[in-house]
Formats: sequence, C-alpha cells, structure tokens
Amino acid sequence: MKLEGEYLFNGPREKVWEIVRDPEVLATALPGTQSLNRVGDNEYEGTMQVRIGPVAGNFAGRLIVSDEVPPERCTLTVEGRGAPGFATGSGHVHLLEQEEGTTLLKYEGEIQIGGKLASVGQRLLDTASKSLIHQGLEALNSALQARIKAEATGTAVEYTPPTEARFAAAVARDMAREMVRALPPPQTMALIALVAAVALLIGFLLGRRKG
Amino acid sequence: MTEKYVGKRMTRTEDPRLLTGQALFVDDVQIPGMLHAAFLRSDYAHARLRRIDVSAARARPGVVAVYTAEDMGDAWRHGPPLVIPPPTIQGVLFHTRTQVPLVKDKVRFAGEPLAVVIAENRYIAEDALEDIVVDLEPLGAVVDLEKALEPGAPLVHDDLDSNLAAHLVQDKGDYAAARAQADHVLRRRIVIDRGVAGAMENRGIVASWDARSRQLTIWDTTQAPIPVRNGLAGMFGLSPSQVRVIAPFVGGGFGPKIMMFYPEEMTLTWATLQLGRPIKWIEDRRENFLAMNQERIQIHDAEIALRSDGRILGVSHLFLHDTGAYDPYGLTIPLNTQSHAMGAYDIPNYHSELKVVFTNRITTSPVRGAGRPQGIFLIERLVDLAARELGLDPLEIRRRNLIKPDAFPYQHQIIDQAFAPLVFDSGNYQATLDKAAAMIGYEQFVREEQPRLRAEGKRVGIGIVSFVETTGVGPYEGARITIEPSGKVSAATGVGTQGQGHFTSFAQIIADQLGISPRDVHLVTGDTDHFHWGTGTFASRGSVVAANAIHAAALSVRQKVLKLASKLLNTPEEELELVDGVVRVADIPERSITLGELAVKANPLRGAVEPGTEPGLEATAYFGPQYGATANGAHAMIIEVDPETMMVEIKRYVAVEDCGTVLNPLILEGQVHGGIALGLGQSFYEKLAWDENGQLLNASLADYLIPSATEVPRVELGHEETRSPLNPLGSKGAGEAGAIPVPALFAQAVENALHDYDLEILEMPLSPNRLFELVHKR
Repeated sequence: MKLEGEYLFNGPREKVWEIVRDPEVLATALPGTQSLNRVGDNEYEGTMQVRIGPVAGNFAGRLIVSDEVPPERCTLTVEGRGAPGFATGSGHVHLLEQEEGTTLLKYEGEIQIGGKLASVGQRLLDTASKSLIHQGLEALNSALQARIKAEATGTAVEYTPPTEARFAAAVARDMAREMVRALPPPQTMALIALVAAVALLIGFLLGRRKG
Repeated sequence: MTEKYVGKRMTRTEDPRLLTGQALFVDDVQIPGMLHAAFLRSDYAHARLRRIDVSAARARPGVVAVYTAEDMGDAWRHGPPLVIPPPTIQGVLFHTRTQVPLVKDKVRFAGEPLAVVIAENRYIAEDALEDIVVDLEPLGAVVDLEKALEPGAPLVHDDLDSNLAAHLVQDKGDYAAARAQADHVLRRRIVIDRGVAGAMENRGIVASWDARSRQLTIWDTTQAPIPVRNGLAGMFGLSPSQVRVIAPFVGGGFGPKIMMFYPEEMTLTWATLQLGRPIKWIEDRRENFLAMNQERIQIHDAEIALRSDGRILGVSHLFLHDTGAYDPYGLTIPLNTQSHAMGAYDIPNYHSELKVVFTNRITTSPVRGAGRPQGIFLIERLVDLAARELGLDPLEIRRRNLIKPDAFPYQHQIIDQAFAPLVFDSGNYQATLDKAAAMIGYEQFVREEQPRLRAEGKRVGIGIVSFVETTGVGPYEGARITIEPSGKVSAATGVGTQGQGHFTSFAQIIADQLGISPRDVHLVTGDTDHFHWGTGTFASRGSVVAANAIHAAALSVRQKVLKLASKLLNTPEEELELVDGVVRVADIPERSITLGELAVKANPLRGAVEPGTEPGLEATAYFGPQYGATANGAHAMIIEVDPETMMVEIKRYVAVEDCGTVLNPLILEGQVHGGIALGLGQSFYEKLAWDENGQLLNASLADYLIPSATEVPRVELGHEETRSPLNPLGSKGAGEAGAIPVPALFAQAVENALHDYDLEILEMPLSPNRLFELVHKR
C-alpha cells in the first residue's frame, strides 16, 4: 500500500523538526501507543494498541530513522508485528519552510501489511491509515502550539493529548468525510448521520472500556 | 417390478431433524473433560521459521499443552498424496509435495499452522496464541502463475529447480494438421480466477482417544470418513479397527472437505493421543478463507480451428494451473478441465499442454465443478467468438457441432480424472439444447422481444450454452442393508452426507426393492463403525456409485426374503410379491408373512441351521462402474444490464438437465439450484483478492461476496432422460452440474446485452467494477 500526503504545521521548521523527533511527544500523539523507547541513536522500539475496523490487538514494533538531514528530511523504516498481523515499510519525510512561519510536512512511502489487518481490515485500511496519520499530525501540531506558546510566555502551557475515544471519533469522522466525497448527494445526509452515530458509539465504547 | 418410489418427488425425510435443530453437527459434540484447540497461523505467505518460543503460552493458566512441529518428533511427517499422477499418460512429470501438520522449516502460505494451543476453552486457547513468539524470516512470495515459472523466481519448494509441479500433454487426432486445413483460427487468452467453496459450516474436528478401551474416535466434517480412518490409523500406528471416524451432518461440503489430511486433522489426532483427552477444534470463517483448500485459477492460451461453415476442426490450449503450496490432490482438477475442454461437441482434434504451478497460496483441490467449469468456459467462449467471427447464431453453431445421439459411447481418446480413457456413455445433447431454447423462447426473444426492448433503450441480452459433466467415477462404494425384527430396515453406506438428501433418495431405492415405505428405512452414512468400505462423497457420484451399491444390496436382501418366504409359504418365489411390509402370494394376498416375522425366523435362537446359509435378512453389496457416466445439459438466461452501474439483473433462468434416471426430482432440483447459485457467485460476485505478497485481502464474508437469495433468480427447470448403460439404475450424477455452465452463460449473455460495445469477455469472475472497466476499455 502506498502512503502519501502532507500536513501544514503552524510553526517554524526547526521547532517542527524537534517535535517530530521527540519520542515522548510522538508517543502521546498516537493514542494507543503504550511505550516508545529509544534503543539506539536513531532506533526506537515500542508497543501500540491498534484498532482498525474489526481488527484490534497489540503491535510491537521498531522504528529506524535514517538519512537524516535536520531539519529538512529523514527516512523512516518501520517494522511491526503482533496479533493483528504485521506491517513493514519505509517512507520519506520532508519538511518545507512556508510563508508566515509555517512548515509543510510531506511524506510518501510504501507499506506492506499482512495478517488480519490485511485480510479482514483491508477495505478500511486505506482511509484508516490516512486518517490515523492525519490525526496524529494534528495532535503533534497541538503539542507544537503548546510548546511555542510556553516559550513565548515563559510559563508552561499544559498540552493535553487526545484521549483514545476522542481520537477514534476523529478517525471515524475523517473516514466518513472520505466516503461522503465518493457519494452522490442524496445519500450524503443519511450517511453522515449514520457515521456520526457510529463515531459516537465507538467513542462511547472506548470510554466505557477505560472506565 | 414397478418402481413406486424411485423417481417420486418426495420431501426429504431428514429435513424435520435439520430444520428443528435436532441433527448432530461436529460442533454439537460435547464430551466431559473436552479441551479446545486454537492454531497459530503464519501471517506471512512465504517465510523461513527461525525460532518459535511457546513457553509463555504454556505458562498461561488454563492452557493444557502447546505443540510445535518439533514436539511431534517422529510423528511429524508430510500428509500422504491422495491422488497419484496418472500412470496411463506418457511422459507425465509430477513432483509430489504434500502438506505438513505444523510448519517445521518453511511457511508456504499465509494461514499455514505453526503451533497449536490446547486449553480448557477456546477463549484461553486464542489468548495464548498471542503469547507465542515466532521469528519468521520473510521470503519473496510466489503469487503470479507466469512469474512463478520465470527463472530466478523464489522457490516454494527449495529442493526443486523451479515452481513447476507437473507437466503433461494430451492429444486427440492431429491438431496441427487440422489447423493447417482450417478456414478460421481464433486465438485468445482466457483466465479463470480463484474462489472458495463457502460452505455454511466451516471445518470442525473432535478427536478423542480413550486410553482404556484403546479406541480413537474422530468426529470430522469430512466428505471421506473411511479413508480418513484408514489414513489416520496408518499414520499413528493404530489398527483401523481401533479408529472410528464419524462424519455426522455436515453443513455443506462442495469439495474441499474431501481433502485429507488437513494439518488440523493430523495435529489434533496426535494431540489427543498424547493427552488422552478429547479435543475440539472448530474453524472460524477467517481460518476457512486462509486454510481450507480453494479452486479455479487457470490461465489458458487457447485456439480453435474451424471450417467456414462453423464446423470445429480442433481445439488447442496451453494452460497453467495453480496448485498452491502443495499438490496432494494430484492432477484431478486439470484432468477434469481437459475432459471438458471439448464440451458437448464432436471435436476430432485436440491438443492440450498443462503446466501445474506451485505458488505461495493455499492448496487447490476440487470445489464443486472441479476443473469442469474452466473447461466449459474455455470451449463455450471459443465457440461464441467463432460464431461472431463467422456471423452464425450461437445456437446454430452449437447445433452444427454437438455430438450426435447415435455416436455414443463417444470415445475421446484422452485420459480422464480416473485415469481411464474418456468416454461419454450416453446422451442426447441436441434434445437438451433444443428444450432449453424452447423453454426460454430463444427464437422469439431474438426476433421480436429483444429488438423491441432495445428500441426502448434497454440493454437486454440472452445466452444459451451446452455442457457436459463427467460424473460417477469409481472405484466403488458399498452398502449393508438389514431387515430388523420390527420389520423396519436399517442401511449403512460409507459415503458421508453434506446435504445431498441421501437419507431420502437411498431409502427410495430400498423401499422399491423391499416393498416398504422409505420412511421405514433407517440410514446411517459416514460412520466407519457402521460401514468401513468405500471412498467418499465426491465427483457427483452419490446417486451413481453409492446408489447402485444400495440398489445391489437391496436386491440381494430381496432375494433372501423371497427364498425364505417361498419355503415358509410353500409358494414358488415367482408367485410372491413384497408389498406394504409383507411378503404375500400374489394371487392369494391373505397368505402372507411380515418382513419382521421373516427376519426373526431368519435368525433363530435354537435349532439347526442349514449348512451354507447366513443368518438374518441382511446383505452387503458393492458397486464399481466400468467408467464414469456423463451427464449433460443446457442453460439459458435473459438479463438486463444497467449501463451506469453495470449491475446485471437476471430476468429469466432456464436449466435443462439430463442426468439419466432421476431418483428424486425435488432433490435434483435442489442440487441444480445450489449449483447455479455457486456458478453465479463465480461469475459475478466471488473473487479472492491477493496482493503480490500472497496476502488474501478479502478473507471475510463482508468483503468476499457470496450470492444471497436476492441475487439468485428463480430457475425454470426442464429434464431430459437418457439412462446410463453403465449401471443398473441408469443414473448419472448431478451434484456439480448446476455450477459448471454458469460462467460461460453469463459471459455470453452480457456480451449479447452490451452488443454495441463489441465486448469480449475472456475472464471470470466479473464484477460490476470489472465489467465497467472492460466496457470502457480501461
């Protein structure tokens, strides 16, 4: 599966680079991440709870950062395995300076998916992975805003990473938007209502599980 | 003797049990102390197993045992080849590579089992799967059949120099010479893709070793209980008499359940022998998609040579057949394809070259149709394209080439799946085709209705195809029939039952011979303690091979009845008749004796028995045909295609079948309906999607579409009857017939409906998406 996309950060490139390369922030940006530890200069190991459609379970993985040219670009290689299957892939991340102190992150890569994720979650994979990335980047951007503000005011601004429930609802919303785009108008309203209900339900279930 | 029940439209005697949930399926088996198994399956299609650590899984509370290939020691071995390659074909190359109970060194398909957890319940067993740490080194996967044969392709079996599993050539006449004389030669590439059997009930096994009685009992969703018994006994050093295999009611077989031995069968049997406790494993749907055998994929480069009057001079094809990771089922499927690649036609010259290819996908073995739909799709497509080229009506070109009724037995000069010369025994192919054309109103539709509807802007199309189905192959089946002191009859046969209505149609045969009601017959199928000679339910042979064995046994019991009654009633046998459960003198009906009384007298408690006689009214008989009986038929349909969505609506569907003597028309119709449903699935809905790494991408019934009641049309059925000369009942099989012609029919009808697009459909299955792409040449 090919993955590619871009995201505009509200901050200068150096700051974005810092945050993208901070495992602690990364871990909070992707809810479900249970641990992310640095095991080498450019190597991280971690575990993550993955949930795509009917497929859920723990994933243990390794992330290697290579070809690093701070603060411009790097190559990410990931390898994860667990009950839901496996994913291996690599991709290039570029940070491009934009007007008014913003930074455009571009990524493109190829990922191989196997096991339950591929055989049962297939039809959700494309939109789900895009949305997971998007929501993860949104969370990073929030963290970035908090950091910039803290530096500006000299006081710590608390950054609250999204809860799993909020994150799941956002992913569901994204996926619905994607589906709606492909549909003729008459069905749109009904679908939005349906997806909103599903998203609420997912949020509710996740919330309940925590409680 | 008049046949009172054979041929009668009787409702099935087994249905009340099935419909009220009283029938025993494997998952209904509950034994105190029973454990539950779950298999760890490889996520990779091709990988080397470096290390597997099950210690954490073993430590989980509730887990009784975890086994890997290493734990099995000497008991770990490859499954036996089921069907050997045909010794009768010269120059055949065949590399036997069979499946293993658990992966030892190398994973060859995604879903292949690596370890088994046996626990107090399935929940614990599945949780423990996550405790197992496996180190697999991924290898390049072989998926595409043509790439698989290229030099340098990764090898599915390292000890071979290529992925070529088998190679064979069959010839009839001289195709090259025929081609040289032909007015027209058409060449096309034709591809048929993979599908699943999609039975309602997945596989299931309960294996139970009782150390005290030293008896092993296996409940298994198999189509072949007797060979499973004999094979497992041999594999684990037991006497076959220590092993009882019960195939109770099975919720659909459709072919893959004839496969043996699945890794799960071997592993569970070994495990119960270790633990001395019963173990149950019930396959879930995803496992069924990943680990139960599938069928169909073939790529044909085919040619047809014709005279300008439409007479076919010859057919030639080189084809690749995907056997998947292993080839335990030999060449059955591609041999069936060859046996059907000339269809119902009198084709004097035929050349066929076959290459069987190993790939990193689950093994293929017969799925309802078993190579036949591919052969029929090939020939029917070629005939249709030829008709178009020559400007002939599809019906007319068929009429010009069908085998004539006086040409039987028709010698094909090639070898069939039973390794015997392919001979079509009997039939009237023209009659079935004409009947189908008449029933659907072919001429009238083409002349009047279609132009009118087209003028209204409707894209309506008609299709009509002929087909044959080789059925009822040997070697043999048997049956034992006993008249009980109650006057009721018990019967046992070795074939298992997966919904074919055996309990009814076999009882009808017995009832006719013994003058009783079919409802007084108690039939046991698929229990090796009741009958242990036979091969299984496959190749549409129940109503031919098993039914004729039942018939022979019933006849033999009838003779015993007559002999004893003749003595007791002081009347010659010829003057006796069996009616309503009694034997009576035809002219003096009050002089009679009931079958029950006769049974008691045939098994006295005291007194002397005449030397050379056997006790009781019981007989065992066998039937093995000289060669398989060939059924035939013609299907026709009218469709309408929505050019926006490319959805196809079937307006009418006509099926005309000739399967010789019909034992029970109601059951036959059910078989035909079911077959057509499967055929429609494999025409327009069901397609397994794989990525280039051998990952199956639609392993669920949400993504793999099996036709439901809304997609399957009402079927109008017609019958022709040419009795087979190869067996006393005159029957031919019908189990697979419905599925065989549908893809060919579907393609023809769609082309006809979209005639202005000049479409050539050379692949199956289609889908609305794929049809859209074809129409718009994308």
